[in-house]
Amino acid sequence: MNTILRGKSDFKGWIGDNYTSIMPVAMIVLIIGVFQIINPFFLQYQGIISLLYSMSYFLIAACGLTFVVMMGSFDFSVISVMKFSALFCVVYIDKLGLWVVPLALVLSMVIGMINGLIFTKLKVPSFLATLGISIVIDGIALYMSKGFLLMMENDTFRSLSVTFIAGLPSIFYWAMGIVILCTLISIITPFGRRIYAIGGNASAAAHSGINVGKTRVSVFMLSSLLAGMAGVLYMAQMGGGSVAIGADMLIPLFASVVAGGTTLSGGIGGPHRTLLGVIIITWMQTGMLMLGIGKDIQVVVFGIIAILMSVVTTDRKKLKIVK
Amino acid sequence: MKNLALKQILSSIWKMLREFPVVFILFLFFAAFSILFPDRFLSPMNFSSMMRQFVTLMLFAVGPSMVMTMGSLDLTYVGIWMLGGALVWLLTPVVGLAAILVVPLLGVVTGFMVGVIQARAKIPSFILTLSIMFTYWGLTALISGGYPRTVQGFQFITAKLIPGIPTALLWTIPVLVAAIYLIKGTRFGTYLYALGSNEEGAHLAGINVLKYKVLAFTVSGLFIGIGSMILFQHMGGSVAVEMNLNTMNWPLVAIILGGTPLMGGSGGPQRTILGALTLTLLVRGLNVAMLKPEAIQLLVGLMLIASILVGSRSSNKGGVEVS
Repeated sequence: MNTILRGKSDFKGWIGDNYTSIMPVAMIVLIIGVFQIINPFFLQYQGIISLLYSMSYFLIAACGLTFVVMMGSFDFSVISVMKFSALFCVVYIDKLGLWVVPLALVLSMVIGMINGLIFTKLKVPSFLATLGISIVIDGIALYMSKGFLLMMENDTFRSLSVTFIAGLPSIFYWAMGIVILCTLISIITPFGRRIYAIGGNASAAAHSGINVGKTRVSVFMLSSLLAGMAGVLYMAQMGGGSVAIGADMLIPLFASVVAGGTTLSGGIGGPHRTLLGVIIITWMQTGMLMLGIGKDIQVVVFGIIAILMSVVTTDRKKLKIVK
Repeated sequence: MKNLALKQILSSIWKMLREFPVVFILFLFFAAFSILFPDRFLSPMNFSSMMRQFVTLMLFAVGPSMVMTMGSLDLTYVGIWMLGGALVWLLTPVVGLAAILVVPLLGVVTGFMVGVIQARAKIPSFILTLSIMFTYWGLTALISGGYPRTVQGFQFITAKLIPGIPTALLWTIPVLVAAIYLIKGTRFGTYLYALGSNEEGAHLAGINVLKYKVLAFTVSGLFIGIGSMILFQHMGGSVAVEMNLNTMNWPLVAIILGGTPLMGGSGGPQRTILGALTLTLLVRGLNVAMLKPEAIQLLVGLMLIASILVGSRSSNKGGVEVS
């Protein structure tokens, strides 16, 4: 309808309709171009491997957060769950062997279920519920690791992430598989459509017969499961860590979700968008590190990106009251 | 007749407990720690540490608890405190002692910025202020070069006036009185309560919602700025460059523990006094009990969850959609 009325300015209108998809792609091209010109090693084999390493675990955690943001909520505990599952693996691998992996994932899911139940049953805003849980989990992680830097010596466990298949590390295949799976979940399955419906208008979704509470709990469980998986693969990739894991990851993670075009008001976006956002953020991070630009400036840049992108992508016509 | 009077007293106590359940917890903590550790908990040294801790919590929480009555969150305090310190360090050689005034100025500017972005662009306030906090942290590290720079010459702020009582506590009193007057005795405060209990209704009643939202964040920023000015000297007179999430979480716990509901509509700085007192007692008591830091963090997290659950009990009656 709009397209017909618009007439001549078709191209402009097309951009206007799709700018949340076009902008991330344009930004990626720009980033690759700029860093390639400044630093010719950016797109060589070693450079690409380091890009893939820096984005893979990040991408898995971001996919989980995307589902929550799509639903119009927020999960503050992603970083804490990731830290928890990574430390759980390194602390208990000697006692339990490879059973730590399923155990860490199950425990992560339990945390997600607690998040979801506090949010839905007790009607606590999701941000505060997950913030409270994340403080508790940080305490548990500190208790498990006693504050030390712990090293991983189990080669079988480490091969989860660092086996090279066709020249690329296996963590990259895990990440790609999860993005594709999440995209399929969000687009094809009824569960995914329900998430979009809840994000669009939760009370309308409830009136049309969707079990909003159950879906919300499942989404929080999914988010925590993916965060736990990111933690396991992170530990396998890095081979060690302390409670400082993920300390400055929260804002880049959030920025990559909104930079991809998933809106904070919910109902728009998806894991495929987050793939673009993660590429933007982590490649910028790696490129800046290659140029010797420190973490301080990165935090500032990503904070500003996070704010700007949330302003740009939010559809204000739909919203009446935002606290 | 006597029986009736007794009944009245009992019912008024019961009413007070229902309205301020935190008073009960406060006395419980005090009694428990006094009985368990009579020497260490009731020592003058512990009292002075308690007062210092209380001041820190209170000065951070005054402004945000005013915003909370409106149903929004303001987490910029850690950022303003850090960046303010860095700016003081930067400006002291240039303008001398007047440099300290940059902190309240930064607070007002930040608050105004947050208010305008939040009200105009309709971004959830917690995510906006969280991003700003991290951005300010990055700027702080950038300005100070990553070192905790000490600034000399501002010792007069906390110079001893009354033996045994930290001067910062004396500074807190006028700040608190001003805040309580603003929220209880002026039209501004009444409008904040109106915005918190029903924003749509407030709009229909002719309140300029946009103006009062911006005003609320600006006033909160001013109070945070004044508080950070005092805390800058109170917490050592140097630029803090390490992000400690406890500094962010504890004032929030104090506000929620005090009984300001998450959705706004009642509460305010006067309630936060109780919350800050209770949290101070808990933390100092646990310190006296020689618990490990991770155990203290765990218990504070559980305390936050418990107080969120109690606080949300009253907020979910109006059928408000919680996201």
